[in-house]
Amino acid sequence: MGAERTAVEMSRWTTLDRITNVEPGVSASAIRNVPNTLAIFDSHFPRFHVLPGVLILGSMGELAAHLLAEETGTSWRLAGAGQVGFRHFVQPGDQMEITVQLKERTDEGATLSGDVKVEGNVVTRARQLRMVPSNG
Amino acid sequence: MRFHLIDKVDAVEPGKSVRGKKLTSLSEDYWEPGEDGPVMPYPFILEALCQAGTWLVMITTDRRKRAALLSIGSVDFLDVVRPGDVLELDGRVDSMSDEVAVVSGRVTVDGRPVLEASDIMCALIDAQDLADLDDTERLQKMLTRADGS
Repeated sequence: MGAERTAVEMSRWTTLDRITNVEPGVSASAIRNVPNTLAIFDSHFPRFHVLPGVLILGSMGELAAHLLAEETGTSWRLAGAGQVGFRHFVQPGDQMEITVQLKERTDEGATLSGDVKVEGNVVTRARQLRMVPSNG
Repeated sequence: MRFHLIDKVDAVEPGKSVRGKKLTSLSEDYWEPGEDGPVMPYPFILEALCQAGTWLVMITTDRRKRAALLSIGSVDFLDVVRPGDVLELDGRVDSMSDEVAVVSGRVTVDGRPVLEASDIMCALIDAQDLADLDDTERLQKMLTRADGS
């Protein structure tokens, strides 16, 4: 799969709408739109629609996998995360601007940091996204 | 799909711990392709544990409060979950006040660890702002089998 990993192959729950920038070995950016049509808002929550934080984390993982695939030509997956802060709710109508930065990489794993902004304000920040090679 | 990633609350020690189950099924629509067939996206495994935590908060507070994710100290996705697996959710409270709870926990499948998380900090917010309280009470009865079924 590697660099040819496409939106169809990613989970549509965390999928990115557009990769806006990739600097292999350094950083990547993408946008993900949050439309009112998502069925998830029927139950999360009936009186207050908010995108689950775990799915925001998943989107950062998708972008991290994309950046690493561009550099290595192989597939990667999210293996863990540390110090992830959810500062503001992400709600229908928001456009998430996601950025990840590579901190270190070996053959066995990679560590990145990531943040998500909506209209310039940081809504989620992950100090550590831990990635491992995947054969999937 | 309803974003209700817990099917049973087996045991609750109010203010202290929760044990529950999430049954997975191929008839659900979150599966993504993996090396050897469909796998559950890792964020969903974490969400199932978080939802066990929110039921712990709701049962502890007589459904006045529920939990919203503020931060995750650390989470490790250890192994894959496949269709038909039953997630055993174990959460324990590290600390809890009127405003904030910190929980840690693990998820296993047939004794095999698939996720460990520590220092999940949640804001406790008024449950009635999020959902109808009667609906929540009905759901609690189903999850805890307190309706005589």
